[in-house]
Amino acid sequence: MSGQDDLNPMEERDDKIVAAEYALGLLEGEELLTARGRLAHDATFADRKAWWDNWFAPWTDEMGAMEPSEEVWQRINSRVNAALDAPPSAVPFAGPVVNDLETSDTVVDLRSRIRRWQWTAGLTSAAAAVALAFAAFGPNTVPQTGTTETPQFAAADPLVASIPIGETQLRLGVTFLPDSDEMLVSASGLTADGVHDHELWLVPADGSELQSLGVVVPGEERKVELPADIARNMGDGVELVLTREPLGGKPDGEDAGPVVAQGALSQV
Amino acid sequence: MARLAAGDSDALEEIYQATRVKLFGICFRILGDRKEAEDALQDVYVNLWQRADRYDPERASPISWLATFARNRAIDRLRTGKVRGGAVPVEEAAPLPDETPLADALLIDAERNAQIHTCLNTLDEKAQKYIRSAFFEGNTYAQLAEKADVPLGTMKSWIRRGLMRLRACLEASE
Repeated sequence: MSGQDDLNPMEERDDKIVAAEYALGLLEGEELLTARGRLAHDATFADRKAWWDNWFAPWTDEMGAMEPSEEVWQRINSRVNAALDAPPSAVPFAGPVVNDLETSDTVVDLRSRIRRWQWTAGLTSAAAAVALAFAAFGPNTVPQTGTTETPQFAAADPLVASIPIGETQLRLGVTFLPDSDEMLVSASGLTADGVHDHELWLVPADGSELQSLGVVVPGEERKVELPADIARNMGDGVELVLTREPLGGKPDGEDAGPVVAQGALSQV
Repeated sequence: MARLAAGDSDALEEIYQATRVKLFGICFRILGDRKEAEDALQDVYVNLWQRADRYDPERASPISWLATFARNRAIDRLRTGKVRGGAVPVEEAAPLPDETPLADALLIDAERNAQIHTCLNTLDEKAQKYIRSAFFEGNTYAQLAEKADVPLGTMKSWIRRGLMRLRACLEASE
């Protein structure tokens, strides 16, 4: 290969190419984590990935069709019914009060999206049937105010939270990958005041004591692997809070400092 | 509540019946193992039911979104390391005897498929080969570089150049 072929590959690509790499599944490690996090926080990036997905998806037509065995539907059905039968989890909330306004906004947003969904059902037979069926069961997946979805089915999808910092435009980005228990905390744009540190906490859905996710390092992206006893509490809808602490984080034996920001994890 | 719930599973069943052969074909193509592919398929529909709100009609048609979703779930499963075999070569993914043919209604978009083929054909042979390999076999950069026995940076260059040209060609066609 010519020397030209080996030009620094890291510098010459832009976002649209990263979106393609992500859509194809070429990325690994840190780059994959970053891309997954961005998919949740960055609508332009999500649009770019969707653009590629829409171009690549017709390739699946070449992948052939196959009939799965009948028990697959039975298994799906029993999983779904088990979830329906389970009583909604009443979550004793240990942390700050849930922001009701935010919750109902989400519900409204979902409802309007579902309505748009119904509008799009003007396609051909199978596609239209799918769109209509989607619309039929969509509304019930709207999270109920005051409850948190139980993370019992937490699958390989990453969980993300975008935590607004005070009155600023800045956000703390948290991405968690359930398959590897890795968490990426992005505090880029934040600066240290030299007097305080900020510590990130998980508020377990079962009402048990807050679990520390570590001290946030301003201006940096930090990746950590969470221990199993914390990782199992990471789930869709679970609250995260940020407290202000002395340098080095909450001292042992003392109460945590004031909550300065909060957010919730959601599945991408 | 119970009635709503019943409506839910009916709707899900309808989607399942309409799309299972296509999505199972995708899962099998990526995973190359019937049992793994069935687990992946189950995962796809259970997740779909839990989080139907993730589907955004402004971004994709339902069938296109589902196909992408199924491929992604299959790749996730492939990457967790449980699957040894990996993707099967194209010939082996050929329909099984008991298989229902992929009905026209389940084809995502023949026109767009033709267009991406046209554009792909304008790329270097290496870029064509490895971009397709990434899509159909779920390979990462590192795996492709190993297969081709070239440095990682070289593989990235080939593919990135290819993707840039592919993008320009696709954009021009829109």
